Amino acid sequence: MIMKRFIYISVLFVGFLVWSSCEKVIDVKLDTASNQMVIEGNITDQNEAQLIKISQSVPYTDKNVFPAVKGAKVTVTDDIGHLWTFEEREPGSYSSAPFKGISGRTYSLKVNVSSTEYVASSTMPERVHMDSLSLKVFTFGGNDVKQLQVHYHDPAAEVNQYRWIMKIDNIQTKRVFVGNDRFTNGNNVAELLYYSKDDDNKELLGGDEVQVEMQCIDKAVYNYWFTLSEQTKNGPGGGVTPGNPPSNINHNALGYFSAHTTEKVSYKVK
Amino acid sequence: MKQTNFLFLFFLPFLFIPELFAQQKYTLSGTVRDASTGETLIGATVKLQNADHSFGKAANDYGFYSLSGEGGEYTMTVSYAGYLTYRKQISLVGDLKINVGLDPANSLQEVVISAKDRRNDNVKSAQMGLEKLNMRDLDNVPVLFGEKDVLKTIQLMPGVKSGGEGNTGFFVRGGAADQNLILLDEATVYNSSHLLGFFSTFNSDAIKDVSLYKGGMPAQFGGRLSSVLDVKMQDGNSKEFGVEGGIGLIASRIKVEGPIIKDKASFMVSARRTYIDLLLKASSDSSINSNTLNFYDINAKVNYRFDDKNTLFLSGYFGQDNIGIKDLFANDWGNTTATVRLNHVFSSKLFSNTSFIFNKYHYAIELLDKDNNARVTSLIRDFNLKEDLQYFTNQHIFRFGAQATHHRIAPSDITTTGNSSINPLSVENRYGLELAGYLSDEWKLNDQLELLYGLRISGFSLLGPGTIRTYDAAGDIVSSYDAKRGSFVKTYVYAEPRFSASYSLSEQNSVKASYNRNTQNIHILTNANTSSPTDQYVMSSNNIKPEISDQVAMGYFRNAKDNTYEFSAEVYYKWLQNQIDYKNGAELIANAEVESELLYGKGRAYGLELYAKKTKGKLTGWISYTLAKTERQFDALNGGNYFPAKQDRTHDLSLVGIYNFSSRWTFSANYVYSTGNAVTYPAGKYSTGGLTTYYYTERNANRMPYTSRLDLSATLKARETKKYQSSWSFGLYNALNRKNPYAITFRDNKQDPTRTEAVQTSLFGIIPSVTYNFKF
Repeated sequence: MIMKRFIYISVLFVGFLVWSSCEKVIDVKLDTASNQMVIEGNITDQNEAQLIKISQSVPYTDKNVFPAVKGAKVTVTDDIGHLWTFEEREPGSYSSAPFKGISGRTYSLKVNVSSTEYVASSTMPERVHMDSLSLKVFTFGGNDVKQLQVHYHDPAAEVNQYRWIMKIDNIQTKRVFVGNDRFTNGNNVAELLYYSKDDDNKELLGGDEVQVEMQCIDKAVYNYWFTLSEQTKNGPGGGVTPGNPPSNINHNALGYFSAHTTEKVSYKVK
Repeated sequence: MKQTNFLFLFFLPFLFIPELFAQQKYTLSGTVRDASTGETLIGATVKLQNADHSFGKAANDYGFYSLSGEGGEYTMTVSYAGYLTYRKQISLVGDLKINVGLDPANSLQEVVISAKDRRNDNVKSAQMGLEKLNMRDLDNVPVLFGEKDVLKTIQLMPGVKSGGEGNTGFFVRGGAADQNLILLDEATVYNSSHLLGFFSTFNSDAIKDVSLYKGGMPAQFGGRLSSVLDVKMQDGNSKEFGVEGGIGLIASRIKVEGPIIKDKASFMVSARRTYIDLLLKASSDSSINSNTLNFYDINAKVNYRFDDKNTLFLSGYFGQDNIGIKDLFANDWGNTTATVRLNHVFSSKLFSNTSFIFNKYHYAIELLDKDNNARVTSLIRDFNLKEDLQYFTNQHIFRFGAQATHHRIAPSDITTTGNSSINPLSVENRYGLELAGYLSDEWKLNDQLELLYGLRISGFSLLGPGTIRTYDAAGDIVSSYDAKRGSFVKTYVYAEPRFSASYSLSEQNSVKASYNRNTQNIHILTNANTSSPTDQYVMSSNNIKPEISDQVAMGYFRNAKDNTYEFSAEVYYKWLQNQIDYKNGAELIANAEVESELLYGKGRAYGLELYAKKTKGKLTGWISYTLAKTERQFDALNGGNYFPAKQDRTHDLSLVGIYNFSSRWTFSANYVYSTGNAVTYPAGKYSTGGLTTYYYTERNANRMPYTSRLDLSATLKARETKKYQSSWSFGLYNALNRKNPYAITFRDNKQDPTRTEAVQTSLFGIIPSVTYNFKF
């Protein structure tokens, strides 16, 4: 967190230093990978139909249309013997009858498709309540930049990991927000959801309606999102060598299986 | 081969030193200095010649020379590039001591006179892989913002690759940036860059000599795998006071030097500061004028010559960078070094240097936001004691010594005030002790064959106190205990053989070969390509093994036209062991268990380096070309297959031309071309969490576009008066305004979000600069 912010500011400085820094779209020669299995599974602590999506990756040069994987057999069990069967209600989208995930329980996913059995498990953490959202205004180079802060109280007794999803006027911000309590254990935390409009995002302006979802996630899922967040950050000279985030699903499937708590708060920017 | 047998064979030559028993030999010794400033001349060639004999040696790092030969009449010549050659008839009928003062040649004389005295040391010497930077070239090679810079000029040499556009970081023969040992008056400079890498910590005004060892590492150096960059500060004019300086676009510098006691003691102080933030201050906007962005550094040196046998040197460096945005954050970092040295001449043949060295690198980051305030500090500090002895005989220069270094690393301390979200935290210090002993012999067997061989024994111990955890491959704790203060937690001892030989085919051409082993116990963990202010240092430990490299190199060296042209071709192959990388998503900062995040692997690097240089005439300069490959292998990365290291660049070409148009105008140009860095591009994409996510297959299997750049500069000397000299330097960086790639990123197309596109970021377009230099 500390470092992430620091690196951002450094990058700003580099930009500031350089009189003629510029960007242009270029043609690059890319390898084409065969389509990979992508599983995105979520179990929340809301009494709702839980959703598992199965799709495939496409070559980088193709359109962002990801083929649905149909006809999979999908089940989820918990560690005290419950079993839920997921039905394919839309192509590639498998959902269960409504049920509520319980903190402390470990959920196991089983997906059978084209004679491979993919399995993953995730433990739902204790819920941490999101107190409020507030606006933080930075003045940089004569411009006011508005950013949003999430307020919550981190419990001291356990190790906590968080993920936030920010939507501005119902459009999701293209940035992965994750955090843990490595530096903030037991405190009232004001977490800045720092993002830049350079990542093809809308700048936060007065009148905008913002919605933030806070998830409490387990360690493996945190590693997944944290690795992804490192990749989208492009430090000087290219930054971290990108790699695929470590998935908690076997057989080299892409994606994740996350049992998490969820809470949403809205905020109107003045 | 058994280690003991091997050692025995190794020392065998030392046991038979025939000339110790020879008769009628006398020694000529002394010190070579610049006659006008009293600066010692490192590497000046001293020769004795008569009808029967001709022999010579180079002066050492302190200008001291010692020659032994049979009694008789000789012509003594002392020569040094850029100086008038000294000649004297001597009769060596007993031990003689002659201190020599060489007069600097002006540029016209230089063209005419030095022809036949030009040295062919590059051909004759057994030393390989050595690049010497001519400080005069430095004045003329065009650079970014007109700030002449040792590290940027070094990057134009074969086998040395730039860390990136306008960056002072460098890679030598496929090694990583942290595998270069950078020494300033023997003190280790851990972070050699200012302002996020755009400037080096070396203020070239204060520097006398720069040598880069890429291979054939002499035994007195150790501790890093790739290279040694040995930078020496000027001693200070011992004849008269002088002031010189420069005013540039980004920074200004000033140097004052002079005698404290004439010919006995002198001093030199040089300082430099940027003033970008002064421009910020000129703004009326408080959100701009309260930001900081500057660096400064100070070099200072004093020396005192007690007598011809004892000289004391005190030198120091202090540099600091500050960047900050009002109410948001502040960051400062810098190096401090101090060196105390005593030269003692035991006899005309035995020269000793004792050094006590302190060096420190620190950084502090402060988050000023009230809700999240914190101050994070980190440092690495060394105390170093060194004894180095040189014994000169007719055919040999023996060098032997010992070195002890105590390291302290304070990885991270976090402090907070008031109601911060962040908790105070202190990651415990780590202590280490490095001990080394070495012995080497530079042996001239005959006119054809010269050897430079030696052995360095280096030991490293991780010392208590501290909580010592051992991790398995998955990063889980296997065992843990508390080590007592001063206890030896883990010790590694390595023998590092060093060997090079040159065989002269004629006066003008030779072949050379070398082998050397190096080990490294201080490692940097960084996300950045080269160095960043927040680099984390770790020592070898129970988990981290010392890095090891073995390098073999061969070369052909040829001079032509009275040494006007120098040509060399070298090939090398390097094996690297215990290389360090880290896991995906590793948390490197303020992590007491950072060693659980590491991966260990190996590497290999090989290449061909071609170099051609014209050393005199109106047009001087060089062409260097490198064809190279460097790869790494980690079980947990890239399916366990070898992959190109980030700094792998197939072709690297530099051309430097300096044209002395007239006594007032000098024009120069350099051109660089290099293959793009190895990078990882996405091969596929998918959607997770509502975002387009990229799928990667092979690590570093793709290439950034190539880099090519032409820089120009012109220097105009103003008319000299007796008291005052000045010059103007005009520069054009990237004169062709080419958009060179700095980073390539991928994103969804704005117009058509169903498509993705690659975006290239370029840093510098054409950048003009002007600098005014003065001296009085």
